[in-house]
Amino acid sequence: MTSVDQESILADVLGLMNRLARDWEYSGEISPETFLFADLGFESIDAVVLSSFIQEHYHRQFPFPQLLAELGQREVKDIRIGELVDFIHGHMNNTDADQPS
Amino acid sequence: MTVRTLLIGLDGATFTILDPLMEEGVMPFLEQFIAGGVRATLHSVVPPLTPPAWTTVMTGRSPGNHGVFDFFRFEFKRDGRYIRVVDARDVSCETIWSMVSRQGLKATALNFPLTSPPVPISGYLLPGWVPWRHLRLACHPADLYDKIKQLPGFDARELAMDMSLEGNAIEGCQNKEDYEDWIHLHIRRERQWFEIVRHLMTEDPCQLTAVLFDGIDKLQHFVWRFLDPACFPSSPSPWERKIRALCWDYFREIDHFLEELIGLAGPETHTVMVSDHGFSATEQIFYLNTWLEQNGYLTWADGAEPEQPGKLGLETMARRFYEVDWDRTSAYSPTPSGNGIYLSPDDSDCAPDDYLSSRQQLLEALERVTDPATGEPVIKRIWTREEAFPGKHMTLAPDLTLGLRDNGFVSILPSDEVLIPRVEPTGTHHPDGIFIAGGPDIRQGITAPALSIVDVAPTVLYTLGLPVPEDLEGRVAAEAFDRASLEARPVRVEGLTQPPSPLSGSTANSANEEDEAEVMQRLRALGYVE
Repeated sequence: MTSVDQESILADVLGLMNRLARDWEYSGEISPETFLFADLGFESIDAVVLSSFIQEHYHRQFPFPQLLAELGQREVKDIRIGELVDFIHGHMNNTDADQPS
Repeated sequence: MTVRTLLIGLDGATFTILDPLMEEGVMPFLEQFIAGGVRATLHSVVPPLTPPAWTTVMTGRSPGNHGVFDFFRFEFKRDGRYIRVVDARDVSCETIWSMVSRQGLKATALNFPLTSPPVPISGYLLPGWVPWRHLRLACHPADLYDKIKQLPGFDARELAMDMSLEGNAIEGCQNKEDYEDWIHLHIRRERQWFEIVRHLMTEDPCQLTAVLFDGIDKLQHFVWRFLDPACFPSSPSPWERKIRALCWDYFREIDHFLEELIGLAGPETHTVMVSDHGFSATEQIFYLNTWLEQNGYLTWADGAEPEQPGKLGLETMARRFYEVDWDRTSAYSPTPSGNGIYLSPDDSDCAPDDYLSSRQQLLEALERVTDPATGEPVIKRIWTREEAFPGKHMTLAPDLTLGLRDNGFVSILPSDEVLIPRVEPTGTHHPDGIFIAGGPDIRQGITAPALSIVDVAPTVLYTLGLPVPEDLEGRVAAEAFDRASLEARPVRVEGLTQPPSPLSGSTANSANEEDEAEVMQRLRALGYVE
């Protein structure tokens, strides 16, 4: 199982989002605290497609539905980039977390 | 380098509409091109739907083999229901652009569905059906986005998919202004795709250049009654005349694009134009899940209310998914696009004889559904999955697929009645699409016998001078070519296709529950479900 540190994943995701944000004419700073929906204007299909590209980037699959389902339990149905990074890191480095029942 | 073959996709195009438009002088170039080439009806897949049909064009394989049956993949398992949006990773067969690239040629493929995430080729890939915010990531090579961004009129929101603009496609035009906006949007969108393909053909022409114009389908769904002479009123209102004129403007633009692209490619280029399916009118709504409910196959959870007839968006579809009492449901139609019924695991996992018996009972009951007004059967054909989807992915397909008498799509919503007339006729997919070819070695002024959509890929490979892999399911449309040319350059059938890369194919198709994402659950999580 490939081990990737959290800082590398954060750099990957921030790099990706900053690259894309130029096309959205988004001028704000993108940081771990940035919300995908409230700040970047994501729609649900954007989350679906972003998860596909992240899986392609890391050449593996992550249980994104589980993550998104957890959002449904929250008062604010949104996710910060930092949480996304935590999620990827957790599943990149934890075999058990990678194979949920 | 020159373009050897130009493959032009016209999503949903049908001779039912194109012939009258040519007669009216709206598409003079197409009329002239057909007169100098070959035309034929092109039989689509079952069901005649964009994702499986274009995937068959792209791969030369049928849905049971390429693994795409709908916009969504649904699984009805003992431990739950899974539904998610399909993408390129669900296509388990090699595309023609990959075959071309592998044999040392270059290819451009623009706006085809299920080509994202992109599988690298020698050439250019700009996938269709990609949300505009992520279009950059879908481009191959990576710097393609920055190149097209410089083109006149570039607007990513309109070029790609923006759900705020696509709302009409889902919910229907709600007022008169929506019709005009919808047509203008698609004129602008097609201009962008035209600018991109023209740019690439000029700057770096590839031997295979393929582009899909998908506005025809999106228009015809909503403006069919203005396009089909059989539906257009004999005494139209000024507004009806205006909408028809706008529709004709759209087709004039398409005609202009065809003329420019074929002219730019030059006289030595073979041009193949195809649609994924045809179109016709639907005048009734068949509420399939309501019929299943009334006949004891499906139980809605408490609180499920009938929906406004004819309306179905993602939010509604998501909500309905969670309004089924799955413990008391043995058959369900999950999507409004596939006309498919999935049997519960208790049926599909039981002994084969019991499964076949229960499926047959349901099939025969559906065959007896009649229109109370006329006594005529509502369903003209029901396919079992063995009939419609033979191949290695058959078990992922619906257990039964319905062909309605007016080719309409079923509604999956609850309703007070099973069969309700539509307020106005709307466009629906018809199995008969179009095939048009022209260029060197191609016969002139011929109407060929009907072809199958699996014949497109072998025919395109032949025009490129490449062998046809043995595992393609169709054949070269030899009747479209001069006999002398066929004798001088006979069809070569040899070799096999190569499966897509492991991540793009086998991983996505493995039966991992976590990989089988629940898009509905996502929508609920994100507040789309009330």
